[in-house]
Amino acid sequence: MIVKADALFSFLTRCAKEELSPYSQVFFPLRPTTHPDTLVLSDNPDLGTLEIDSYRPVDPVKLLLYSVRERVYPEIRNVPERLIVGVKACDLRAVEVLDRAMINDDFTDPSYAAWRKATTLVSCDCTATAPTCHCTLVDGKPYAESGFDANLSRLGDEFLLTATTEKGKAFVQALQDFTSLAAATRESKIEVTKNREQMIQQVDRQNADLKRSRDYTAMRKVKEQPWEIESKECVGCGACTHICPTCYCLILNDESQGKRFVKVRSYDSCQWNGYARVAGGGTPRPKMTERFRNRYLCKFDYMPSNFDRLGCTGCGRCTDACPAKIDFRSAVQMILKAGTLEQTR
Amino acid sequence: MSNPYRVISASITEVIQESPLIRTLKLLPEEPIVFKTGQFVELSIPNIGEGPFTPSSSHYISDRMDITIMKTGFVTDYVHRAQVGDTVGLRGPYGSHYPLEKFDGKDVLILGGGCGLAPLRSLFLTLLHDVDRYKSITFFAGAKSPQDCIYKDQVSGWRQFPTVRFVRSVDAVPEGQEWNEDVGLVTKLLANLDIDPKTNPAIVCGPPLMMKFGTLELLKNGFKESNIYLSMEKKMYCGFGQCRHCVMGPYYACKDGPVFTYESIKNEEGIWE
Ligand SMILES: Cc1cc2nc3c(=O)[nH]c(=O)nc-3n(C[C@H](O)[C@H](O)[C@H](O)COP(=O)(O)OP(=O)(O)OC[C@H]3O[C@@H](n4cnc5c(N)ncnc54)[C@H](O)[C@@H]3O)c2cc1C
Ligand code: SF4
Ligand code: SF4
Repeated sequence: MIVKADALFSFLTRCAKEELSPYSQVFFPLRPTTHPDTLVLSDNPDLGTLEIDSYRPVDPVKLLLYSVRERVYPEIRNVPERLIVGVKACDLRAVEVLDRAMINDDFTDPSYAAWRKATTLVSCDCTATAPTCHCTLVDGKPYAESGFDANLSRLGDEFLLTATTEKGKAFVQALQDFTSLAAATRESKIEVTKNREQMIQQVDRQNADLKRSRDYTAMRKVKEQPWEIESKECVGCGACTHICPTCYCLILNDESQGKRFVKVRSYDSCQWNGYARVAGGGTPRPKMTERFRNRYLCKFDYMPSNFDRLGCTGCGRCTDACPAKIDFRSAVQMILKAGTLEQTR
Repeated sequence: MSNPYRVISASITEVIQESPLIRTLKLLPEEPIVFKTGQFVELSIPNIGEGPFTPSSSHYISDRMDITIMKTGFVTDYVHRAQVGDTVGLRGPYGSHYPLEKFDGKDVLILGGGCGLAPLRSLFLTLLHDVDRYKSITFFAGAKSPQDCIYKDQVSGWRQFPTVRFVRSVDAVPEGQEWNEDVGLVTKLLANLDIDPKTNPAIVCGPPLMMKFGTLELLKNGFKESNIYLSMEKKMYCGFGQCRHCVMGPYYACKDGPVFTYESIKNEEGIWE
């Protein structure tokens, strides 16, 4: 299907303003008038201009499926039907990790599952990059191949639209009720393929001085010194983990009143000193260097063994967020290099 | 699927002050909690917080539960202020349990100290339930001083069983306290062990240093890595593999543990911390 950009944006705007009702909530990447150098995930079209293609916004989709703070017992009910448009491939990969972490054979996080079920994810191919984007270094692509309900690919003032799931088809139907859609042409599909190839090259180019790795097993063996060098400036604030689309470590609080038991989870960070502290004050990672190392190992070693997926999607948000200006990509490279050196020694 | 955070309300029916810092809560949950010895529950003090604790009662009893708790910080301080009639919350059970079937016909060795005796008492009472299934049960229990010894009123009863050997040792006897049993670190008791280390299981629980040296001592004695069972204490919130706090390499201490064989985790980092 082909949809006109104008029509799509006006559909989203009117849904957001509750003038149309297929979805109670609609979120999209938007360039705020007050901060034109960033893209944010927003549900308020009045704050700026919708920009659903470009690159990933500051906020990961995680924030909408796995809130900073949420009640898990008793479980939340009746969550609103929600549409998120303009989800990037990197964030879909993150959702894949979260799905495995949150809905599996052992347990289901009831609140995550509720939001996930009520949410329609419409992805959009990237047409630009943020300076820190590096999805192709970690086996990703700047367009989604799976994990979406429907996908959009920009073609000038139109979008090619494909729907894969029931939710995606419902989205197409809602759109069709609002505006007329044209059939996709062979040319449009060829052009999408061409654009995608170009975007891969663009991401590759901006990371040309970094090497792609498929083997991260050496990371665990790297001695302390390279880690000390990389973590020297780290202040342990936890910005990197909070903004990371795959980090989901939680603190559980008890907010019960008498026999009415209430459990609320909120984000924790493995970069914080108290994170793994047990009674009596002992902790397996007392030094910042050790906690810094834990995040890298979690992404490239622990998560792969837990979920069969890398824990890093290459979104670059941690680099953007870091007050110490630590570039995650280069730190990973330096560590891997140290690992290779040690192995050949 | 049911909510893994589901809380069962329980009331405190009795409080036994075992030692200055350790007390046992006798609980009556609103519905039975079926668990296997070695598994743990999350106990919450309403509106204060919760923490992982192992039942110290036999797993053959599910309509009541004993939990033995040491006062060490924020939540446990409230636990030590709780009174008979108060309500607490219980979630669980979670985690792995002691593989009792592997202990059949064996000389079972149990080694523990401090509050590590809580899960071990659950195991011990569970074993006593079918005491004839095991060739013998040796329980080495350590405490800092005589007044820190717990389960005092039960010891003489346990010593009645012909195949049970219950030995206590205290690190030191401060002036004014009475003691006529062993003195010294509990791991020292391993020196005069008369069971075959090659084929028998050893179950260890206690403070990190005791676990470490206990394990090393057992290995030195000839116990097999795969026959040494450790109950790992790691920071944990959820109890079932979500919050990630207890991750040890590819393992979760909560979900894959807390009971591990030494063999399975010996290469992971920070296991004794
Ligand atoms: C599997 C397992 C079984 C255990 N079994 C037993 C047992 O049978 N008996 C026993 O005595 N102990 C047992 N423990 C240890 C017990 O869980 C801890 O002693 C207890 O949780 C300490 O809680 P605390 O708040 O008193 O200690 P603290 O030292 O105050 O806190 C411990 C940790 O909780 C955090 N914390 C403290 N307060 C809060 C709060 N309000 N909100 C969020 N986080 C907070 C702290 O940062 C710290 O990391 C077990 C532990 C494990 C892992
Ligand atoms: S580690 Fe950094 S680059 Fe990788 S997914 Fe997380 S925030 Fe993005
Ligand atoms: S954002 Fe930077 S300074 Fe803060 S914890 Fe992460 S790496 Fe350290």
